[in-house]
Amino acid sequence: MAFVEFREVSKVYQMGEVQVAAVRDMSFDIEQGEFVVIVGPSGAGKTTLLNMLGGMDSATSGTILLDGAPVSSFNKRQLTQYRRHDIGFVFQFYNLVQNLTARENVELASQICKNPLDADEVLAAVGLAERVRNFPGQLSGGEQQRVAIARALAKNPKLLLCDEPTGALDYETGKAILKLLQDTCRETGRTVVVVTHNTAFTAIANRVIHVREGSVAAVELNEAPASAEVLEW
Amino acid sequence: MKTFNKDIVRSICHSLGRFIAIAAIVALGCGFYAGLRMTAPDMKLAADAYYDGTGLMDIRVVSTLGLTDDDIAALREVDGVEAVMAAYSADVLGTLDGEQYVMRVHSLSPAAAASTAVDDATIASDDADYLNRLELAEGRWPEAPGECVIFNDRVMAGPSELGDVITVDGSVGEVEDTLARTEFTIVGRVHSPLYVSSTAMGTSTIGSGTVQQFMYVLPEDFSPDLPYVEAYVTVKGAADLPADSDAYEARVAEVVAAIEAIAPEREQARVAGLQAEAQADLDEARAEYEEEEARVKAELADARAELDAAKEELDEGQRKLDAAATTLAESEKKVKNGEKEYTQGTDSLEKRAAEAEAQFAEAESQIAANEANLAEAQKALPNLQAALDQVNEALATPGLPDEQKAPLEAQKTELEKNIADIETAATALEAAKAALAEQRAAAEAQMAAAQQQLDSGKTSMEEGKKQLEEGKASYEESKAKLEEARAEYEQGVADYDAAAAEANEKLDDAEQELADAQAEINDIEPPDWLVMDRAKNFGVVSFENDADRIDAIASFFPFIFFLVAALVALTTMTRMVEEERMLIGTFKALGYSRACITSKYLIYAALAAGFGAVAGIAVLSQVLPWVIMEAYSIVYYVPRGPMPIDWPIALAAAGLGVGITLLATWAAAGATLRETPAALMQPPAPKAGKRILLERTGPLWRHLSFSWKVTFRNIFRYKRRLIMTTVGIAGCTALLLTGLGLQNSINDIIDVQYGELVNYNVVISEKDDAADDEREAAGAILGDTGRLPVAVRATEASMIAQGADGTEAMTTIVAPDDAPAFEGLWTMRTREDHEPVTISGEGAVITEKLATKLGLSVGQSIVFAEQDDLGNATATTYSVPVTGIIENYVGDYAFMLPDTYRRVFGEEPDNLTVYAQASDDAGERAALSEALRATGGVDTVAFNDETIDTYKQMLKSVDMVVVVLVVAAAALAFIVLYNLTNINITERAREIATLKVLGFTPHEVNAYIFREIVLLTIIGAAVGLGLGVVLEGFVVVTAEVDQVMFGRTIHAMSFAVAFALTLVFTAIVMLVMRPKLAHIDMVESLKSNE
Repeated sequence: MAFVEFREVSKVYQMGEVQVAAVRDMSFDIEQGEFVVIVGPSGAGKTTLLNMLGGMDSATSGTILLDGAPVSSFNKRQLTQYRRHDIGFVFQFYNLVQNLTARENVELASQICKNPLDADEVLAAVGLAERVRNFPGQLSGGEQQRVAIARALAKNPKLLLCDEPTGALDYETGKAILKLLQDTCRETGRTVVVVTHNTAFTAIANRVIHVREGSVAAVELNEAPASAEVLEW
Repeated sequence: MKTFNKDIVRSICHSLGRFIAIAAIVALGCGFYAGLRMTAPDMKLAADAYYDGTGLMDIRVVSTLGLTDDDIAALREVDGVEAVMAAYSADVLGTLDGEQYVMRVHSLSPAAAASTAVDDATIASDDADYLNRLELAEGRWPEAPGECVIFNDRVMAGPSELGDVITVDGSVGEVEDTLARTEFTIVGRVHSPLYVSSTAMGTSTIGSGTVQQFMYVLPEDFSPDLPYVEAYVTVKGAADLPADSDAYEARVAEVVAAIEAIAPEREQARVAGLQAEAQADLDEARAEYEEEEARVKAELADARAELDAAKEELDEGQRKLDAAATTLAESEKKVKNGEKEYTQGTDSLEKRAAEAEAQFAEAESQIAANEANLAEAQKALPNLQAALDQVNEALATPGLPDEQKAPLEAQKTELEKNIADIETAATALEAAKAALAEQRAAAEAQMAAAQQQLDSGKTSMEEGKKQLEEGKASYEESKAKLEEARAEYEQGVADYDAAAAEANEKLDDAEQELADAQAEINDIEPPDWLVMDRAKNFGVVSFENDADRIDAIASFFPFIFFLVAALVALTTMTRMVEEERMLIGTFKALGYSRACITSKYLIYAALAAGFGAVAGIAVLSQVLPWVIMEAYSIVYYVPRGPMPIDWPIALAAAGLGVGITLLATWAAAGATLRETPAALMQPPAPKAGKRILLERTGPLWRHLSFSWKVTFRNIFRYKRRLIMTTVGIAGCTALLLTGLGLQNSINDIIDVQYGELVNYNVVISEKDDAADDEREAAGAILGDTGRLPVAVRATEASMIAQGADGTEAMTTIVAPDDAPAFEGLWTMRTREDHEPVTISGEGAVITEKLATKLGLSVGQSIVFAEQDDLGNATATTYSVPVTGIIENYVGDYAFMLPDTYRRVFGEEPDNLTVYAQASDDAGERAALSEALRATGGVDTVAFNDETIDTYKQMLKSVDMVVVVLVVAAAALAFIVLYNLTNINITERAREIATLKVLGFTPHEVNAYIFREIVLLTIIGAAVGLGLGVVLEGFVVVTAEVDQVMFGRTIHAMSFAVAFALTLVFTAIVMLVMRPKLAHIDMVESLKSNE
């Protein structure tokens, strides 16, 4: 049994009288410790997929299992607990609480879950040991995203979900963030899922899931993924 | 521009919550301001309509000697006078259903029965001179003497039913001279414009000093020869003017002056009339007197003549008697002389007899002696013979010597001589004896002749004596008779003198009386005409004052709402401008001018504020006056009139509301609009997090969870919101506290005054003119410790206390006989520290409200003025130092020792009032007051319960105000908190979505947002408690009525309730906002910054 299993998952939105299927019969697996890139053009259903995997939205039909847990049949409360303890989320726009310092933003996550990592250690691990007392407004975009990653990691989640983590960053910074994510995956064995429209990222993934028009177009396994440092786009 | 306008319309549609928030707070502000400001005019308008509709007098004319028909006619002639109604009235003590009330009895106009009520406020009558028209609320008009209608106010004036009988106490006041009967049956209930207030009906000189009830009776029920007591006058054109306007006052003042101008003449005429009337009576009396005097004098003269004749007779008798006495005296003298002669004769006879006897006795004794000698000698004779014989013998004896014979012969011669001598002597003696016998016989014959002569003289003397005795007896008899006659005469004289004296005295008295009467007539003082306008009518004035009180509160209260409105507008519009930052940038980039873009927000704000203002003013300018007048209707009978929108006030309110909103909007939009389009196209630099002071506390801060940290940082991050929320919530709490505090204040009147301060429950005043037995009977009950365990006598006097600035306050002066005992019945303490205060001999202890009103403090002196019959201060004043100021809520009092009373007022304390503790049992109380009244020695028996009931009624009217305040507070809290929450949620939608993604439970998410609101609410409420104390203080002092001090302390419970209610409002807002929070989609978190 795979770490993450998507089995014929569909998500149908009711738009007035019209039913729009954002995701149709999507099936794939992810193994533990893999660095996964889900790639596809805008509107392909990436975000819906992410929402369902992240417990932010429930599937209309199909089964989603994470480490054997039936996420697709969770009620709202269980979904909250799922997000709280099992998922780490990294947003495109960092979504830091402006009114909390870097450390506090990390604590924001760590204080609510069962086995958190130490905030300072995690921040040191993402290279922000010196900036823990700074407010987001005082940090650069890359730094903010590092804080966001630290926040996600501090929860010690089973799955780290990243939504276009470099989308708001410049090339170099984006690359550094990707490196951080890859290193995290390699060094801690944490399963990392990155959702992006940028196909260039596929090179550094263990597993690439191509999404097109609401379904999985292809899944390719990459035996020897490249290092993020050498990535170019 | 069309598209631009569309944008505005859509902005409104898409942010209806925001639009409504602004509209609502502006509605609240403008509505409260307009509503409260319009209340006073509406009240005055209603009063004016009622006064005009019922023909309330503009002027009341009272003369101290009453008014005559001529006076009334003269009043009609005064320029500007429209109608005149002459009337009778009298203040009496009436008993209704066992309770005594001070009642004012009015004469009912005959036109009343024919009048018709057009509406609540208008009574139509054919008689233009029918003023102060009554509205019959229940029953019928009096038709026969002995029927009456009374005030249709059961609350203040006690319960009564139609058909009940009011018994007037004939011994109080001048009832005998004014009323033709003392029992009146209630046949109906009325409202009178003279008495719009049931708590301020006027003052009276009898009983408790305040009028508690009025009744109207037929004029026939007044004494037939009573002059009119008063005349009510309306002024031409005055009805067209608003009742309290300057124009009205000026118009009335003109006519008052005109009436005062004719007053001296009328006063003189009244004197002349009274004098003429009295003089005629007096002249008649004098004629009668003179007739009587003549008669009495004639009678006296007759009596005198009789007496004189008797005197003459008496004198004649006396003279006769005197003559008789003289004769008698002469006879007596003669008798005496005869007696004397006789006595003298007798005496000399006896003397001569004695002398003769003596001579005889001497001769006899000589003879006897001679006889004795003779006898002796004769005895010796034999011896001599013998001797001689012997001698002869011896001689014969012869022998005898011669020598012997010679002696013998001598002896014999001797003897013979002796014998011869004896024989001669015997012969001589016998001759002497014969001569003596002869002499004695001659003398005895002589003596017998003299004796005979004497005896005949004696007989004649005895005769004379007897005659004299007879004469004397008859004299004595005549004399006794004369004495008797004299005594009779003397008696007659005495009787006459007494009668004459009496008659003269009576005549003198009559004369004096006549003279006095004449003097009185000559001295009749001209009456005083008192010309009073409505300002002297307690009801009218207190209604007007209460309206002004509302206005005072109205000019202060709504500013909280305006301030909050400004803050709400500011925060809301700031948020709106921030939200539309990119749009503004786009408009700018498209070439719209700054003014044009600003105008969008200004138009938006103006529409919201304008809509709110219109709605608020339209609703609250009707609701608030209605609620307040409804509340006041418990105390006032002024039918609610139309409540027109007062345009100046409405426009001012709307202008103020819209103005501050626009100002806030302009301030909010200005900063953003100054930025360049390029900058505007960029997302706004997020408001940087900031360290707050609390962080510097170190350990404390470190132990806070991130959500507390973020809460604290957020609170201080948005200062405008902090201020808006704090002010808004503070306003809400302050309003609640004001309402509750107001209730406390009035409750304190009952609870503190009658629970803590006053320990007596009944005040009994004795009649000052009671008969001794009545007084004794009353005293026996009052001294019965079984009925009244504690009773303290005191002297009460009503005076007008005067402040330095001319303030006047009716004050009851109480001088307890036993001050320490009295202090047991009336707790004397300061309000704030509860320090005991003692009535000392140095001055007076006064109540706090009185001190405040007059601006007095301990050590200063209070000035009392005596009052005249109409309750106006006279020039007679007294000054007493104030030695203490005590907590007291009902009435204005000054307490002093009897000595002080005596010293200050120069009057002996009468001790007619008794403060006592009676049973709490209603039955025993009724029995007590019945027993006291039955004695006839008691004027009033007043239990505190009646007063307590009055204040309970006042509480009811406050309840309405409290409801208004609670609703306003709730509205304020809802608007502010809704707005704050709304802004916080929309602004932090992304943050909230992120938190949700991070796995925050709904509970944690709510806490994250609402904790801030709860904290702000607590801060605001705490500030509000402080603000509330100030606001309540202002309202309490402003709303306070005369003679009453509202409590000054807000109870701890009220603080707790105000605080708790604020939190409850917050909780409700949070409950309402929860779904909105729950509906924030986590997908928001994935979107880019706008």
